[in-house]
Amino acid sequence: MSTLRASVNVTPATGRPFLLYESDRASRALETLGAWILGVLWILPLLYAFWAAFHSSADSTHFTLSAPWTLANFVHAWHAAPFARYFLNTVMLVTMVLGAQLVLVTLAAYAFARFEFRGRGVAFALVLVQLMVMPDVLIVENYRTMTALGIKDTILSIGLPYMASAFGIFLLRQTFKTVPRELDEAARVEGCGPLATLWKVYVPLARPTYLAYALVSVSYHWNNFLWPLIITNSVESRPVTVGLQVFSATDQGLDWSIISAATLLSTGPLLIAFLLFQKQFVQSFMRAGIR
Amino acid sequence: MGRTIKFLRVLARAATALFVALCAAPALAQAPVEVPFYYPVAVGGPITKIIDGYAADFEKDHPSIKLKPIYSGSYQESIAKALTAVKGGDPPVTSILLSTDMYTLIDEDAIVPFDGLIKTDADRKWLASFYPAFMENSQTGGKTWGIPFQRSTVVLYYNKDAFKAAGLDPNHPPGTWKEMTADAEKLTKRDASGKVTQWGVQIPSSGFPYWLFQGLVIENGINLMNAAGTEVYYDKPETVGALQYWVDLVNKYKVHPPGIVDWGTTPKDFLEGRVAMMWTTTGNLTNIRKNAKFDFGVAMLPENKRRGSPTGGGNFYIFKKSTPAQREAAFEFIKWVTQPERAAQWGIETGYVAVRPDAWDTPEMKKYVEGFPAAAVARDQLPFAKAELSTHDNQRVTKALNDGLQAALTGSKSPAAAMKEAQREADRLLRPYR
Repeated sequence: MSTLRASVNVTPATGRPFLLYESDRASRALETLGAWILGVLWILPLLYAFWAAFHSSADSTHFTLSAPWTLANFVHAWHAAPFARYFLNTVMLVTMVLGAQLVLVTLAAYAFARFEFRGRGVAFALVLVQLMVMPDVLIVENYRTMTALGIKDTILSIGLPYMASAFGIFLLRQTFKTVPRELDEAARVEGCGPLATLWKVYVPLARPTYLAYALVSVSYHWNNFLWPLIITNSVESRPVTVGLQVFSATDQGLDWSIISAATLLSTGPLLIAFLLFQKQFVQSFMRAGIR
Repeated sequence: MGRTIKFLRVLARAATALFVALCAAPALAQAPVEVPFYYPVAVGGPITKIIDGYAADFEKDHPSIKLKPIYSGSYQESIAKALTAVKGGDPPVTSILLSTDMYTLIDEDAIVPFDGLIKTDADRKWLASFYPAFMENSQTGGKTWGIPFQRSTVVLYYNKDAFKAAGLDPNHPPGTWKEMTADAEKLTKRDASGKVTQWGVQIPSSGFPYWLFQGLVIENGINLMNAAGTEVYYDKPETVGALQYWVDLVNKYKVHPPGIVDWGTTPKDFLEGRVAMMWTTTGNLTNIRKNAKFDFGVAMLPENKRRGSPTGGGNFYIFKKSTPAQREAAFEFIKWVTQPERAAQWGIETGYVAVRPDAWDTPEMKKYVEGFPAAAVARDQLPFAKAELSTHDNQRVTKALNDGLQAALTGSKSPAAAMKEAQREADRLLRPYR
């Protein structure tokens, strides 16, 4: 990218080799600088949270390096709400939602991508309409449905409205469409039925898309707050975000140290997982075309 | 989708019917009355544990009632959760929500008045035992819709050490607007380059500026709305004058930080010595007491034409879609938890103002006030307090004022123009209710 731009900048009249080299370096330096600035801006809140979480609230806004470090905020936060149970609930929630989504989305996307049937266009348009509707608008209707089903206040009720994901269907349909027909036909010749073709040809080829989609889905449901708060009532079904909310006691001013500690606790697992799988994620995003 | 749901619903009903048939026989004898109860958390401290403790104690006294406390987030999230549940046909039996949500809940036909539950003389005596200032936000149209529970009011906190350093008497907080201006001028400190290192006074203006502003308006002689919740007085000269004073503190006297002052960080500014006097809720008392490294004082808000402050905080409501037995049970709990001893205990543990005068006469409270006289300032101010701004279509009518206040404070509009515009918007919203 940068070499290309650099060589365009060089006019033929002055196009001596060292100039090409110089401007190439300059533009690369500029890009690096830009990336650094964006990176630092992005990580600043996290760094602050880290600082505040490990210091007492008196020291949380003074950046004196000699200030004593403490773990008291974490202890306090952990005991202020049943976080262990909340974590378990959140993990169960995101696994359940993702599992159901992957199955539904794969089958729906396969049908939309490769099968001709009556009403396909209308059905797909309806799926796309779902993309336009904000989930928050549907809270009351979803609440009615969950009450009618008699599953209010369960982890299932938090996840159910999200399982048929329009975004996932759309994303995967596009990916499946890029799979060469020849591969499909070859599988058929080998004696594969439609489902076996899906399993042996389409799913393996769409792996980067699956990974990218999984990341988006997991982080969304890990962070989702309002719907879980409304549909659940008991500790046994509530996710970690609802537990976190206890600390934003607005009548009283905020204790940044405790909030930061609780935030690190609740986002920690996700953050660590991302760092571990960072390379795969970045690659899958490049390939899946989401940037 | 619809058919699937219908089918599942039928299935669920059949299963429930079967289940009920199977266990009805033994259960009928003494099925406890279930009372789901939403409560928000708006102050620090182990509130959820305290409430769970109350529920357990209450059930011990009343074995036939099963109270189910359900934490419902902040006040804003609680009203969202409650109204969603109402629309979904499955509301709680009782809930603590902002006292200002009263008209909204009435308009949504979500709640019932307490009048039907108050039958005996003892009940009537209990109802009369609350501070009248708190009842202003709990009654309308001759009916009682809410019972005060976690209530607060605005007071002035000041840094006594800063007062001493500025040559002011630390035991004489400002009693009038004039004194507050003069004190603030002495308390504002600038460094060599003219940058302010300590502001004289700050009144937060993020989130809900109308609440603190209401203090100024009441002191200037009027309140912002009528008792029926159908009129607001945003463009009255008293209101504009109150806003002019606030803007003058910023622009003319330069003793108040410019722009929007954040509510959440104001206590921190005070604790860090970046401001010498602040206006904020009594709910902050415990926090300031615990974290202040200097000597601080608490005072009533300064007066202008009169003394005054708005009340704030949450009331108990009882929802309409409940059985008579559930309503009775909820009423029983509300009476139980507002007894003088418990009102006193709740006040001490949370920093809220105990809601009835006799709570302040309990030995526990007397001991607390003796060791910490600042706690009684809110009580002494209550006779001057007025209802918090609350009308029909409350959210939007209040937002019109908030937007106007912030426009004036940031200097994008003059106080008079900002208030005139807010009034026009509020009138438009309130017309259907008149």
